[in-house]
Parts: sequence; structure tokens; C-alpha cells
Amino acid sequence: MDVKLPQLAEGVEGGTVVGILVAEGQIVEKDQAFMELETQKAVGSIPAPSSGVVTKIHVKQGQEVSVGQTLISIETASAKTPATPPAAQTAPASTASAPPPATQSTASSPTANATASDDYHYESKSGVAPPASPTIRKLARELDIDLTRVRGSEAGGRINLADVRAYIQKLQQLAFQPAPSAPAPAAAPTTTLTPAEAIDFAKWGAIRREKMSPLRRTVSRRMVESWTSIPKINQFADADISVLLALRKKYAPAYEKKGTHLTLTSFILFILGRALKKHPRANASMDDSALEIVFKDYCHIGVAVDTEGGLIVPVLRDADKKDLHQLSADLHALTEKTRARKIAIEELQGGSFTISNQGSVGGSHFTPIIYAPQVAILGIGQGQAKPVAIDGKIAIRTILPLCLAYDHRVLDGADAVRFLKDIIAGLEGFAEADIKLK
Amino acid sequence: MEPITTEILVLGAGPGGYAAAFYAADKGKQVTLVEQNPRLGGICLNVGCIPSKALLHATEILRERKESAARGIAFDKPAIDLDKLRNWKTGILDKLGQGIKTLAEHRKVKVIHGRGHFEDSQTLRVETAEGQKFIRYEKAIIAVGSKPALPNAFDLGNPRVMTSTGALEIPDIPENLLVVGGGYIGMELGTVYAALGSQVVVLEALPTILAGVDADLARPVMRAAQKAFKEIRLNTKVLKMATAGKQIKVTIEIDKQPRDELYDRVLVSVGRTPNLADLGLENTKVTKDDKGFIQCNAQQQTDDPNIYAVGDVNGGALLAHRASREGKIAVEAILGEASAFENIVIPAVVYTDPEVAWCGLTEAEAKQKNIDIKVAKFLWGASGRALTLDRPDGLTKLIIEPETERILGVGVVGAGAGELIAEGVLAVEMGATARDIADSVHPHPTLSETFMEAAESFYGTATHTLSRRGA
Repeated sequence: MDVKLPQLAEGVEGGTVVGILVAEGQIVEKDQAFMELETQKAVGSIPAPSSGVVTKIHVKQGQEVSVGQTLISIETASAKTPATPPAAQTAPASTASAPPPATQSTASSPTANATASDDYHYESKSGVAPPASPTIRKLARELDIDLTRVRGSEAGGRINLADVRAYIQKLQQLAFQPAPSAPAPAAAPTTTLTPAEAIDFAKWGAIRREKMSPLRRTVSRRMVESWTSIPKINQFADADISVLLALRKKYAPAYEKKGTHLTLTSFILFILGRALKKHPRANASMDDSALEIVFKDYCHIGVAVDTEGGLIVPVLRDADKKDLHQLSADLHALTEKTRARKIAIEELQGGSFTISNQGSVGGSHFTPIIYAPQVAILGIGQGQAKPVAIDGKIAIRTILPLCLAYDHRVLDGADAVRFLKDIIAGLEGFAEADIKLK
Repeated sequence: MEPITTEILVLGAGPGGYAAAFYAADKGKQVTLVEQNPRLGGICLNVGCIPSKALLHATEILRERKESAARGIAFDKPAIDLDKLRNWKTGILDKLGQGIKTLAEHRKVKVIHGRGHFEDSQTLRVETAEGQKFIRYEKAIIAVGSKPALPNAFDLGNPRVMTSTGALEIPDIPENLLVVGGGYIGMELGTVYAALGSQVVVLEALPTILAGVDADLARPVMRAAQKAFKEIRLNTKVLKMATAGKQIKVTIEIDKQPRDELYDRVLVSVGRTPNLADLGLENTKVTKDDKGFIQCNAQQQTDDPNIYAVGDVNGGALLAHRASREGKIAVEAILGEASAFENIVIPAVVYTDPEVAWCGLTEAEAKQKNIDIKVAKFLWGASGRALTLDRPDGLTKLIIEPETERILGVGVVGAGAGELIAEGVLAVEMGATARDIADSVHPHPTLSETFMEAAESFYGTATHTLSRRGA
């Protein structure tokens, strides 16, 4: 069987082969990882769909592959003669040259060949038109639809009404898809970032060119998408975290003992979990096609992590249901995994809100970009000692710069300010009871 | 004189013409149908399909009689009354012709009898019994059909040299009949005359009778004809003919040597030519191909945007049912509907004894086009129904696309093959697979089971044969 790159996740169209973990002639077990692929924001491994002998590797390290592309060929166990499996362990070459499986069982219909591919095209060795009843053919003529583009689901690839309907729906989806998301990820940076005219930078001195990694391309595509599609507002605020820092100092050793760090981000996750429950619009998304606001009962917060390869945003699940210790432990694990590029694609998905904390690198106020289709993002700078007036007297306090960027289509200014005020209140009046380890 | 005006003019009331006229009327169009013969129905009804099938049926009992003795039921020598036979046949034609007339009246299709001649792209002049009439139309459909070819060398002006038109009249039962041309018309009419008692000799210039039919389908026909006819000579040409008293002297080339033979009558069945002479096409933009047939597109439209053409005048397979289908396509095209003669299977039936029928891709065509196919066959010798009919001389075969198991073509030879092929047409049009046919229950005992068993044999599981997979 030919093993093709599966649809790894919604919106992931392909990636770069960073490692091939098997060799031709080698035995693989079902679910054994045979290839490492850098896709979007992570390096993931591709599991073998069934056990067998690798008869051919179709791709090379460093090669870019897309969903549906054949990666390797496996001769499955069922195709082997009963006597072969034990022998195959030691003599892979002999099994590799074993006769191909019976024609009938693998004879793939034109349909089976292209299940994952979008540009399906019916081809018959006999040169005949695709199989479809006269009714369907007449319908296709009336709608001016080329039936060779329609994937038939019935025996022998016969096209029925449901197939034609599905095809039309697909066309409609494509037709109404917003333009920026239409081009393939590889093409996006060229169309959106590069100026129309190629500039010869070398005219002004020596230069060095570096190919954009899939991760870099994804970041740039998502940012352009967000920047161009969302009418955003940046709401600045300051929070006095002097008390919070004192509390942190008091309890940090206890947390360390339990193998985790009590960080400012843990506090913010805790506060956000509660605040988002109270302000569900900030945790919502907009469904453009249905003209509906999607409210989520869950609260999964994306945490922007700076890695060697660039920005990655893993998602911390159920922030509203976890206590501070659990959040700290999860955050630590997630960050480590991300920095090691071991994060799974699923762990990058499903976020309902995002935070970007630049405190560790010394950032101040900044305007973060909303991570569509989320509605808002909280940018956090570095806490700085500043003179503030308290009860008419100047005091030196640690002030945390905050910026809430939000999608004005979903969230109005007053909503956003109320939400931000609750976050500030959470930071300034964090209950000691919530810190104590149980 | 004020010209008659009409939305759609149909010239010729054969199966292509009347099907188009009626369909257009059903779709709300104002239609005028022009036909030169007093009886509607065209070649098919008057001098083609219908009278030939009537005669084949009437004479079938004469053929059966011979076989029946072996089954313990013997008959005396039959008494043949040709007048009665002709009257019975004519009665059928009248009934059907009247039926078409009635259908036209009910649809308010105006029928004008007369010879039509195009004056320009929108005017037809008709020579009627009451004088000239002019018809102004928006769109015209030409459906004037074809006639039997009679090469000049054979055209002696002697009625003893007949075409199918003359032969269908059965002027007498000639003692010796020479049939020139072993195509389906020659073989069918030869079968009629042989049953009536004529000594029939068939001459065919090609190395096979029924040219174009797969060899395995033609073989049982050849075998039966060799028994029923006096002789079938292949690779043989007729050089010339001459009147010799009450007979025809025919000069035949055998082994490159001319030889004279005497026959009471000769049937020339060497093909058909379109009825396009003196039609005034030169006054329109209609063009013809190098064989003299009208050129038209998949919507049946000719090079003259106002004029469509259907049926025999376009060449290809000269078949009534193809003409009817084209007639409907032409109407749909005129009405602006998305219609085209695409991907449509036209079945063919030869009413010899046994009959041959096929549809879709043939084995010979697949070979010629280098298409990879599998053939699944069922020989009727294993069919209970065929044996009870005393007709084991049949074969049903499916032409199958190996990768998809889709049925691309069907061929049947045997008693009633013409009726059986309909299932094949449905299978091919629907894009059915061999599995679809094999898994459909066919009634027992019938000849239709041979279709199912042929499909089963593709999988090596035909109940009544020990077939190899995909033979």
C-alpha cells in the first residue's frame, strides 16, 4: 500500500520532511513513527497505518510534501505469504521482492487513488467518460459541470446525485473562501509579504538569504490574515502587582519543592480563566459565513512561547477549571515541550484566547496581534518600579503594563474595559487562599 | 400567396422526424411536419424495420417446422398464400401509419404531404397534390432518411434486380435468389426467402458476413445460414449483371476468374445512401462530408444555424432508434436546453436466425483502439431455458473494464437477442459493474439469466459453468 501524508489537522496542508526513521526493506509496526515532519508550528511524527515491510521511500529529507502525497510504500502483512512474516525479520530483501498482491484486491478504482486530493480528475484506461446514469449526466450538462472532476462514490467510481451535490458544495466553499487563506502556505508569503517588484538588496552591500521555514511562513500568513481581516482596538492599562509579587515570593519555594515554578504567567492564566467565564464574548469567535457569534463553554488559553525556531503558541486547556498549582505545572510542561519542538499539532489548536508575555525579555507596552479566529489577546510587558500616587502620596510600586487587543466586531469598548478591569482587579487583589497548596 | 409560418419545421416523418415533431409539440412549440409519402412512419415503418420483422416472424414457423419433427411434432408441407401474407403485412403498416397520424393530430402537429425543397435558410417549398406551398420556419429539422444503394452496374431497370424495398413486397418466391451483400439487410431478407423455399446464395466481398460484428457473435449466424441457405461465398465480387430472358445473368469473380450464373431474382443489399438529392441544400448553409452525409455538431445543428439534421442523413449507424434520440436532442437544443448526443449507447440488432445484438464497446473495437478489457462469456448450451427452446446456439458476453469492473459493452447472439440487449444498454448507460449484474436476481428459467451468469463468470462463480476467472 502507498502511505500518503494524512490530513494532520485542519488547515495543515503539508510540511517539510525533517527526518526519515525507516529504511527500505525495514519492517514497521502499525502506529510506529516512520517520518518526522515539520508542519506549521511543530515537528510531528507520522505513524504507519499498518504493519508491513517498507518497499519504497518516495520522499527525501528536506523535501516539502503536501497532504495526499505518497511518502512510503508498505507491503502489508496480509499481502505476504503465510510463511514470510518470521523470515522477513531477518531477510527483508526477499520480502521486498515478493510478488505484488493480487490484482483484484489492490486494483484501485480511479476514486480510491485520489481521496485526499482536491484536483481530482477521472481517467479511464478505456478512454470512456466517467460512469454516471443518464439523469446525472443530463444534470451535469445543465449545470455545466465536468463530471470528470466529480469523485464517484459508488462501485466502479459511479457518480450519484450525492457526489454531484458534494462537489458543488465544495466549489461553493472555495468560491466564498476569503482570498488570503486561499493560496497554499508556501505561496502566501510571496503574495502577501514580498513587494511586487523584486528588490536587489545586494546593490547596497553584502546580503545573506535564508529560506523561510514552514513555521516562519505560517506565522507570517496568520499575522497577515489577522491584520487584514480584523478591525481591532488596542486598550492599554496598568496593574499594580506589588502585592502579587510579594505573595509570589512567599509561596514560590513551596511550589519549587513540588517541582514547579510559580510565575506571573500562572497567575494571569488563573485570573483569565475566571474573567473569561464572566466575559464570554472575549472567549468567543465570529462565524463569518453564518453571521453568528460562537460562544465556548471551554476556556483554552494560548500562550505565546519564544523558541529558537520562532514564535509558537501552545494551548493550555481548561484554564478556568485548574487551580494555580495545576496551571503552573501544566504551563511549565507545555513550555518545555514547545521549546524542545516536541509539541503535537493538536496541542496548538483550539485556543479561545491568547496571552503574549514579553516580561522576561523586558518589553513594555506593545500592541499584540489577535490570533484569528479568537477575539482578543492580552499583551503583557515587564513590571517596572514606578512612582504612583496612593491616597495623595507618592509611592514606588511595581506596575505591569498591559494591552488588550480585541476584535471590535464582537467586543465593544465598554465590554473590553470591564473585562480588563476584572483582570487588573484579579492581579491587584489576588486571594492568598488561591495560592496556598492543598 | 401567403407562406405558411411555423416555429419548427420537420422534414420527413420517419422515426427521427415524427419523434422530433411530437416532442417539440409536447414542449409547446408550433410544429409543421412535411412528408412525401401518404403513409407516415418513414423507411422504418414502410420499407424497413417493420415489414421485414413482420415477414421474419411470419416465416419463422416455416423454419420451426423443420426442427419440430425431431421433437415429435411433424407438419405437412405448408401452403403459402403470398397475397394473404402481403395483406397481413400491409395491414400492420396501415395500422401503425394511422397511429402516427392520430398522434400528430392530437398534438396539433400540422402535417403536409409533399416533396420539400429548401428555398433558403428559412423557407421550404413543398410540392403538394394541391400545388406549391411555402413554409416560413424559425428552425428546421431535416429527417429525410436514406434509401438502398443500387450501383449503376446493377441498375438494369429490370424488377428482377431488387433492393430491400422491392424484396419486401415479395412479388413471388424465386427458385433461385442471389443476395449481393452479406450485411444485416441481406442476411435478414435471405432468411425470409430461404424459409419460403428459395435456394439462397449470398455473396459477400469481405471475408466475413455481418462486418463489424464480433467474430464469436457472427459465428452462430454463419453456421445457421450455411444450413438454411444454399451457399455463402465470402471474398467474392459481382462484376456485372444482365437480363437473360426471365432470369438475370450474374458475372461473378471467383479466384480472379469471371464466371456466369443464372438467378431468378437478385437482391442487392450493399448499403444505403442519404436522400439528399434535389433537397435544395445548396440554398442553405448546410454542408456535407466527403461521403455525402450532412455534417452536424453534438446538438444536431448543421452549419446552417437554423437547420438541424437527425437520423440516416448524418451517416454513422443507420438505425431508427438513433434517429429518434437525435430528434429529441435537436428539439432540446432548439429550446435552448443543455442537450448533446454524448456518452449515449446505441444498441444494434440483426434479426437473423439466431438474432445478434450488441451495445457499447465491442471486443473488436477494444482491440482496434488498444483498450485493455476483460471479456466474460456465457454459452447458452448451459442455459436451461435455451435448451427448452431447442436453441442452445447462443452466447452472451460482457466487455468489462478490468480496474473498475464497469461494463463497457454487451454482445448477445441467440434467439430473442434483440429483446435481451435492453438490459445491456441499461447496464452500460448506468455505469453498472459486473457485480451489479451478478447480484441482481434474474428470473428462472429465462434467457435473461445468461446475462447474470456471464457477469458471475467474470468472478469465476457462474453457477452453471466451470469458468475461469475473467475468461
